[in-house]
Amino acid sequence: MKKLYLLLVCAMLVISATAQEKPGGKKRKKPSGAYNKQNNENEKFLNKQWWLGLKGGINLSNTTVLKSYSVISRDESTGTTNKKYEDFKQLGSQISLEASFYISGFSLSFQPTYQHAVFSYANEYEWTGTGTNNLTLTYDQEQKVEHLQLPFIIKYEFGGNTLRPYLQIGGYSAILLNAVKAVTITGVDNASGGTNEFVDGPITVGADDLFAKSHWGLIGGAGVYYNVGNVRLNLDVMYKYGMSNISSTENRYSNDRLTGVGDAMDDLTLDNLAINIGCLFPLRFLENGFKSLDRK
Amino acid sequence: MLKKILFSLTLTSAAFLVLRCAEESNPKFDAESFTHIYDDEEFNASYLPIDIVQTPDGGYLVLCAQRLDGSNFTSIYILKTDKVGKFVAELKGSAEFLNPVGRFTQVDNNFYFFCMDQATVTYLASVDADLTALTTTPLSQQLTYPAVSAFNATDGFILESFNSEARESVISTISTTGTVTKSKGYGIGVGDDVDEPIINHFIRTGRKLPFEVGKLPSGQYFFTGFFNYTFSLVFTDITADDPIGTVSGTQDDAGYSAILPLTGNKFATATFSFGDNYFMPNETIPVAGDTMEFGFNLPELVPNAKVKIHRATIDTKNFIVYASDTKTKQIGLFFYDELTGEFLNSRYLGFSNPFEIANLITTTDGGLAVCGTTYLAGRFPRICIFKLSKDEVTSAIK
Repeated sequence: MKKLYLLLVCAMLVISATAQEKPGGKKRKKPSGAYNKQNNENEKFLNKQWWLGLKGGINLSNTTVLKSYSVISRDESTGTTNKKYEDFKQLGSQISLEASFYISGFSLSFQPTYQHAVFSYANEYEWTGTGTNNLTLTYDQEQKVEHLQLPFIIKYEFGGNTLRPYLQIGGYSAILLNAVKAVTITGVDNASGGTNEFVDGPITVGADDLFAKSHWGLIGGAGVYYNVGNVRLNLDVMYKYGMSNISSTENRYSNDRLTGVGDAMDDLTLDNLAINIGCLFPLRFLENGFKSLDRK
Repeated sequence: MLKKILFSLTLTSAAFLVLRCAEESNPKFDAESFTHIYDDEEFNASYLPIDIVQTPDGGYLVLCAQRLDGSNFTSIYILKTDKVGKFVAELKGSAEFLNPVGRFTQVDNNFYFFCMDQATVTYLASVDADLTALTTTPLSQQLTYPAVSAFNATDGFILESFNSEARESVISTISTTGTVTKSKGYGIGVGDDVDEPIINHFIRTGRKLPFEVGKLPSGQYFFTGFFNYTFSLVFTDITADDPIGTVSGTQDDAGYSAILPLTGNKFATATFSFGDNYFMPNETIPVAGDTMEFGFNLPELVPNAKVKIHRATIDTKNFIVYASDTKTKQIGLFFYDELTGEFLNSRYLGFSNPFEIANLITTTDGGLAVCGTTYLAGRFPRICIFKLSKDEVTSAIK
């Protein structure tokens, strides 16, 4: 099903991009010395433009469990070992290089991105006995994952000349760069003649092996350009919808330090709400006095 | 047109690469390698695993002792998991049958072990792979205090037990119907000092003694247990009044902590001596008896450590795995070449909570299943299983 989604997205990208070419249109010959002409030439480059820029910002992560795993097993009729995830709680960050090709309201954009995402979950266990014999332990597991994301995005711009809102859709592939897990154990022990609250850890371990080397997803979002001379300032909101598992299925139990404290990664997808600000520079027709975004 | 084609090709290639790299759930990996701890939210529950077997469906059965309120002895508890280690079912024995001992052995469709009643009389117990019911069979000849058993196709079960009235270590062969076909006792010596550690072993108030029993390729039987005041290795034919030969320890301060016959008079052994631990993966012991030899000192093990020795083969390479308890509260696996006795590798299982070895087996996929006790939150004794894949084991012996 996910493969079908991706193929649909690709088809949409192809259709959207190619739909801009006029039917039966002939290949236009590039006039020599065009870059020094005004008026007629302005029309041409305003319909086609390359943009290059940087953007960065913050993100919040959300996980969707595909299949749950746990080191600590219980008879499910008497207890549960499911994890409790915290969604959209911890801030991550990202920075992107953006290269876009604009043509008649549409842009095809490639945005290699370094993304640092943080998500966490907790396991809680309780042991109860007679009288005050009671112990509660909570294992808070925080994951910090860094990916190189390679998004391809189609944008549609509309609106005025200075402020130009846009909508965007696309897909991305992500390559794992680094991952770290930190486990903090908190507990309340009522079994020693009183109430003892304690915190252990965190135990911090490198966890590259516990995550998939790559994953992919879909992108949807919106934003706005603010055109200042030849520069476009950009506010961009993007939702990255993970389509494949970010956990390593083969190495799930390979880290003895983590399995020793009862942790095994679920199979899960990672969604990400990213907010960016940035600026873009035109690569064609840059000269004094010319405003690349001028409209007639 | 060319641009259109190039654009389409680029997107198609990108999509192909993305799909090719996607990680997908794979049940094969789930069964090949896992770690599970089987918890019970009851504060006073205590599970003491003894042995593990693999069932025909790829799952596992774990034979355990479970502490009983108001009794010196432990009751029977058996856990069933599926092939990925997930809890499936459990069987809790009553207070009527106590002190389960391994090995936990599959014969046909049933899984056998020995236990005793409250009068310490031994029974042969069995369950099926689904833990439908616990079946107990009285033996044709009364034996008491079962300590350890082994199985071979010729003799059936070989059981070492303790006769507290005659003060004898008893070795017997028993069929799957409970018929005792051969039995012989060997005196442990007189005096309370001799049987005290044995009784403490059974009621788990003292050290668990490393009883072992089995049959040599040459046809003689052996056991480790008390004989003539010392914890000894005894060779016998279960017929003559006297052993064929013995290798004496030093009371209960030195002796064999594990022994595995290899070929001829070759053994893989582990010994303890006043707290120290030694491995000897290729020792020659004549059945006529000898003095005890020590091998490689393992200072990382706890004093008088419990040791299990397992023989396995991967891709025609025979190797021996020693599993024991380390001072870091982990289960240490030590791999040796069977032919040369050369040390190959080690691996340590567990972290944070204490872990102790119960036993290990080779699984049908060529990996290892290591069963043990862990103390969740540092205090609750629970069953744990580490499943190592064939690849993990292969990398350990290369």
